[in-house]
Parts: sequence; structure tokens; C-alpha cells
Amino acid sequence: MSGDLVVFDDVRKSFGEFVAVKQMNLTIGQGEFVAIMGPSGCGKTTTLRMLAGLEAPSTGEIRLDGRVMNDVKPHERDTPMVWQSLALFPFLSARENVEFGLRMRGVDKATRTSRAMDWLDRMGIAEFADRNVATLSGGQRQRVALARALVMEPQILLLDEPLSALDAHLVIRMQAVLTQLQRELGITFVYVTHSQSEAFAMADRVVIMSQGEIAQIGTPKEIYRAPANRFVAEFVGRNNILSGTVTAAEAGQARIATPSGTFTVHGTLTQGQRASFAVSADLVHVHSERPEAENTLGCRLLSEEFVGSVVTLFLESEDGHEFKVQMQERQLSQFDLKGGEALWLDWQAAHAHILDDG
Amino acid sequence: MRSAVLWIYTALVFAFVFAPILFSVVFSFNSQRFPTIPLGEFSTEWYAKILADPDIWQAALNSLIVSSCTAVLATFLGFCTAYSDYRYRFRLKGAYLALILLPPTIPLIIMALAMLAWLSKIGMSGQLYSIIIAHTVLTAPFAMAVIRLRLNQMDENLEAAAWNLGGSEWATMRHVIVPFCRPAIIAALCLTAAVSFDEFAISWFVSGLNKTLPVAILEIVQGNIDPQVNAIGTFVFLISMSLIILAQIFLVGRQLKGHT
Amino acid sequence: MTRNTKPDFYALSWRLPIIIWQALFFLGPIVFMIAMSFFLVKNYRMTEAFEFVNWGRMMTRGYFWDSYWHTIWIASLSTLCGMLIAFPVAYTLAFRASENTRRMAIFLLIIPFFTSYLVRTFSWFVILSESGVLNAMLGWVGLGPYTMLNTTFGTLVGYMTLTLPLVVILQTLAMANIDRSLVEAAHNLGCKPLQTIWRVILPLAKTGMIVAAVFCFILSFGDFVAPFYLGGSQDPTLPILIIDTTKSGQQWPRAAVVAIMMMLTLFAVAFAGIALAYRKRAMS
Repeated sequence: MSGDLVVFDDVRKSFGEFVAVKQMNLTIGQGEFVAIMGPSGCGKTTTLRMLAGLEAPSTGEIRLDGRVMNDVKPHERDTPMVWQSLALFPFLSARENVEFGLRMRGVDKATRTSRAMDWLDRMGIAEFADRNVATLSGGQRQRVALARALVMEPQILLLDEPLSALDAHLVIRMQAVLTQLQRELGITFVYVTHSQSEAFAMADRVVIMSQGEIAQIGTPKEIYRAPANRFVAEFVGRNNILSGTVTAAEAGQARIATPSGTFTVHGTLTQGQRASFAVSADLVHVHSERPEAENTLGCRLLSEEFVGSVVTLFLESEDGHEFKVQMQERQLSQFDLKGGEALWLDWQAAHAHILDDG
Repeated sequence: MRSAVLWIYTALVFAFVFAPILFSVVFSFNSQRFPTIPLGEFSTEWYAKILADPDIWQAALNSLIVSSCTAVLATFLGFCTAYSDYRYRFRLKGAYLALILLPPTIPLIIMALAMLAWLSKIGMSGQLYSIIIAHTVLTAPFAMAVIRLRLNQMDENLEAAAWNLGGSEWATMRHVIVPFCRPAIIAALCLTAAVSFDEFAISWFVSGLNKTLPVAILEIVQGNIDPQVNAIGTFVFLISMSLIILAQIFLVGRQLKGHT
Repeated sequence: MTRNTKPDFYALSWRLPIIIWQALFFLGPIVFMIAMSFFLVKNYRMTEAFEFVNWGRMMTRGYFWDSYWHTIWIASLSTLCGMLIAFPVAYTLAFRASENTRRMAIFLLIIPFFTSYLVRTFSWFVILSESGVLNAMLGWVGLGPYTMLNTTFGTLVGYMTLTLPLVVILQTLAMANIDRSLVEAAHNLGCKPLQTIWRVILPLAKTGMIVAAVFCFILSFGDFVAPFYLGGSQDPTLPILIIDTTKSGQQWPRAAVVAIMMMLTLFAVAFAGIALAYRKRAMS
């Protein structure tokens, strides 16, 4: 990564009364794959549209490669976008769609045709070049949309939930295509999505947004293992969140008394304060007998859910708090489980992650 | 049983609606001057008569000029309005839309009188272009409606996608909006031409000596029963029908294609 | 994409043409016509003035008011006939026809709008005449001949030719949008068919029905062809009055008075219709 390409400097965007983005500060490096993720209405699409010039920031400054972009019109920017709806031109063929941007930039016919064909070839859809886009399959249309944006040879590519309309198996394939393209081209990808799996599978860095604000920025691993706050912990999912009062604190360790029991965590806390921590579901272990461990808890099994070879157990502690435990299916086969069965959970104190907002 | 009664009744009402059109065509090939049942012999006498009449030729030419100019003007204005409505929100938009949509709800005879008086006042009455002006006011709303419906079908990001790829607003209009609306534009041209081709009240008032076909019919009808009217009517009917069917093909045909 | 933006050159290029055009050739004529109703006519020449002479003269003439009430009466009669004749057809198309049949029927009903109303009227003139097709057919079964031209019946046939297609279309659209499960629910609850129409369908289709009636009235009220050619014009309607006044006597200002009275009447009818359509129904 060599230097900053995009800078959001105290950017705020409101539509009348509604504030879509509040005081955003964000820096995106050259050649970085950044995913902006959050629930609908969190401001992620508005952020992307501001980058493309389709919305103007109400206050603050957006800089692209050092240049202030606030008043630059969309067509004067070099920020091609792949749209959620793809927004292919229905009256043009696949090749003409890819040529469109070059035609707008005044590139001569022969050059733009050969460049368009190169890209269609690279995306593996050269044989459909002269077909009307309406007659192509979802995956093929997706590739046309990508080629249409990339043929412009931009420094940055914007993607607005581009895979949300595809079937699950195509999503996995397109993820691989996108990741590989980004590595080969070495350009910046800004990828907006509400899907955790897409963001975590592809991005170097993930920006989580909530109600117009950045909730956390970090690598997928950081966000997964060390959610900054309750919102992120809940949004990322499969986290067990417990809250209580600190009863003892010394030498980077603390005891937190929660309604479900008292547990040890690593971290600097002061006695008497409120605190919350999250334990990822895949770091919790299940036992039929009470184990000798730092943090243990008795639970009753409610239900199981199988996704492929991964099993999620849903359990309930005596005080009615729900716990989730994730494990491989083959690990589960050691147990002979029935609903309502009493089980024991345990996790290491090092795996309990303290949340910022108590 | 009750269903059958309803369907027979429906068929009768449709028969009532189409009887005059049908009889007009039949009478145009009938030798009798006062057509009745049983019909007279098959005859093309009335067609021969109108084809030999230079006044009718002149009227037909006038009609053609008026309806094609009207179609172009009304479709252009309708397109501008439909696009403004689609793209922008602005103050007094309700009044703006009322301004274009109201004319067809005002009785033609009132429009005719108002047009005649105003165009005389500004020295523009009694010409072919007087009719074109009046017909454009009358038919622009139809063009606007047809094109506005087409714009509703457009992907809301299509225009932004073109800007995003380096197209200015004008280039986007030319390379994206207009091509997207093309079927609706052609349909609007056909529809407005058809309405203009049949309109007689306003034409009669403002045309002065420049008769269009419907005005020619009006003058013949005022005289007496003359089956020439049926021959002209059949001819006019054929032209209007072709325009409507053409419009329908462009509207529906493209929609089906767009959905596959 | 609708956004509030400051109107720039591009935006205005699309917004202004129709404003300019309609100001010149729609508002202009209407406003001028209103002004003209206050002009004077001397020696067959119109002079611009602001006098109430034309209004005074027309409003105190018996023939104007005879014509006015006659037009309202016959347009109302036409509306009543149109609505009643069209209803069973619209009902059939809305509730008994398949989607495709309905679409086809509506397409067929659009055709008459684009065929010469004059030619169709002339066709009726021939069909309805003393020795015409209809009387000939009636003669076979030993009836007639009846005088149908130059009667109110003749005028109504003309009005129906003009209005029925539109009324059927509007009624059909009004009823086709009704949730069918509501109608079936009414049947299940033991509502008889006529009761269902009266208690369920009509209240649900009220707005569309009123729109259909208002359009039927507007079209009949403003038409001069049917009363002139089929009704014999012995009781001239307001449109015929306008034509006579304009075409024969150069009395454009008086014609303008008639036209304005017509427009006021139509506004009143349209507003009454809107008020009726959006009046909250008393819940029982």
C-alpha cells in the first residue's frame, strides 16, 4: 500500500432533517480492498454515492488522490461503479455496454472496440459480445457490469452490493473473481455490502457503519475477534454477549458478575464499573460433565442448527440468557444430545473480549 | 347461466360501439345513395368520386401535414415534460403538470372558440400552422403520458450509471434516455398523429380556407346524405388504425422483450 | 431519481418549453376568451373594452337559459344512460373475464377514440333514418317505421357513441382493482349478487365510478355533433349556440359568455364529483 487515495475529512451528509452520514473520517489507501458494511439505512450507500459524486457532502471534504472532489461533477470523475441493479443499458449489446464509458470519453471506435473485447475476453464472456444484455444470465450480466467499469482503467472501483441479486453458488464464484482481479490490477476497491461473509471473504479492511457513524474499522480478523462495541458484536453475529459489574480487578485481569454467573476476563477495568464482554460462539466448548476451567456455566440445550459441516447449538442458562456454541459436526458426534439436556460450557478468559461501550 | 346473459349483453354493447364503423365501411362499397337493407350492389363509385376530387386531395395533404407536424411538436413537448416530472422535484410542480394535462378535459368547442379568438388577435389564424398549434396543445398530454410511463420502467440508476461512466447530462440524454424511451416516443408520435388526424371542431374554427379531411367531411355532411363521407371515413379509419396498431406494437412489443 | 436541486441550464431546458408553449397557446387563449366576453361589437367589428353588455344581454335572454337547462338535462340523461348501459359490461369484464380478454376488450374500446366521430355519427344518421337499416330490420318483424332522427333518442345514440367506450373502460378499471377476495367474502357471508354490487363493489369502486360519470357528463355537455346531426338541433344545446353565435353573427364576445358559463358549470360538476369521491363514508 502506497499512500492514501481517498480521504473523508469530517464529512457529513443530511437530506433535510434526516442525517445520513455524521462526521465521517476515513482514509482508504492505494490498492486497498475496503468493504463498508452495515444494516440498511446505516449510510454506507450514501458514502459510496458521495465518492462517485452522485451526492454532495453537506459539510466536510472528500479528497481523491489529493484533489478536493466536493464540486466535481459525476461525469468528470474517474470513479466507475458497479451497481446493485447492475444498471446495464438494456438497448445495447454487451460489447456496446462495455464501450460506453470510452465512447463518452471520446475514444475512437477501433480502440474502444478492441479494449472492450479484451475485457470481455478477460471476463470469459467474449462469445456473448454481440448479444443484447437482456438475454444474458445473471452471472454474465455481472461480468459485463464489471468489464464496463474496469475498461475505464480507473484507480478506484466502487461496488454497491453487486452480488446481492445472484444465487448463492454464483456469489462464491464472483467473490473469487473479484479478489483475483483486485490483486492483479492493484487498484482500490470500495465495496458496500450488508453481507458479512462477502466483506470478510474479500476485504483487507472492513468499515462497519451504524446510523451514519463508523462503528469500527479493522481487518476482518480484528472485527471478528475483537468487536469494539456491542453494536459490532451483535451485527457480526455468533457472539455471546454478557454484561455485569466488575467485582475484582488486578494485574490485567478482572472478575465480572453477570446474572448468569461471575466470569474472568483479561483487561484493565476498575472495580465497581459496569462492563460487557463478548465470546465468539466458536470459542466456547461444550461438556457433559462440569469441567475444571476458568469460566464455566451450566446450560440447557434448546436446539441445533446445521449449516454444512458446522453446527450451532442454542442453549439457555438458568437465568434465561441465550448462548450460542459453534463447532464441527464431527465434534458434536461425541455427544448423544437430546433437547432439554443439561450441559456445561467453558471458555478461556483470554477469549472473552471486553466491549468499549459497557 | 347468468354469466351467459352478461356476455351476450356485453357483445351487444360492443356491437353498438362498432356498428357505425362497420356500416360506414360497408356503405362505402354500396351503390345506393340512401343505403339500407337489403344492400345494393358492390361499387367503388364513391372512392372513384373522392379520388377525382382535387379538394379532397388537398384536404388529405393538409391533414397529413398537420398531423405529422403536430405529432413531432407534441411528442417533443410531451417528452420534455415527462422527463422534467421524472427527474426533478420543484415548487409548483402540481400547477406545472396541470398546465399540460388540462386541455383534453376542456370541451373542444370551447378550445376552438378560444383558439380562434386568440390566434386572430395575434395574427396567426386561418393558416395550417394555426391548426398545428391548437392540436399540439390538445395532444401533448397524450405524448407526455405515454413517455412518462416508459420512464417509470427505467432502472432508477441508469442515468447515474451513464454519468458515472463519463457522460455529461446532455450526452446521457442523447445516448441513454432517448434510446431507452425510443419505443414510447414512436408510440407517442403515432397516437398524437392519430388524434390530430381525426380532430374536426378546432380545425373547423381556426383553419380558415385550409380544410383538413375531417373538416371536408363536416362540410359534406352539412349538405346532405352523400356516401362519399363513408369512403373518406374508411380511408381515415385505415390510417388511424394503422397508427394505433403501430403504437401498440411499439409499446407492448418492446415491453415483452425488455422482460425476458 | 427525483432530487431537489437548484434548476440549472440543463433542467430549465426541459422544464421551460411546455411552460412557454402552454402560456402562449393554452393560457393565452383561455384568458383572452374571458377578456373577450367584456369586449364590444360595433358595426360587425370587435373593439376591446371592459363592459358587461354581453353578460347582461345573455343572462337576461330566455333562449340562453332554455338552452342552458336543456343542455344540462340532456347531458345528465346521457350520463345516467351511459353509466347504466356500461355497468354490466364493465362488471363482466372486471369479474368474469380473464386478464387477457380484459386487456383485449380495453384495446378494442380504445379504437373508437381514434376513428372519426363525425363519420360514425353520419353512419348512425343513415342507419336510423326513416328508410334506414334499423327501420328496415324492424319492418321484417312487422314494427315501425319509427322516427328516430331529430329526437332526443337520436341525440342519446350520438352521445353513447361518443362516451360509452370511455365509460366502460373507466368503470372496468375501477372494478378490476377491487380485491376479489372481498367480493368472495361477501358471497360467503350470504350477500346476494345485487346486494354485493350495491354494498361491496360500488363503494369500493366509488372514485373510479365518479370519474367515469364526470367524464361522460363533460363529453356530452361539450359535444355539438350528436345534438346537431342526430337530434335535429331544434332545441339548440350550448355548443350549438356557440357555433351559431360565432359562425353567423361575428358575435364572438357573446359566444365567449356561453363558453365561460359552460366552463364554470363543468368546474362545478368536476368539484362536486371530487367532493363526492373523497367524502368519508359514514361507517355503520
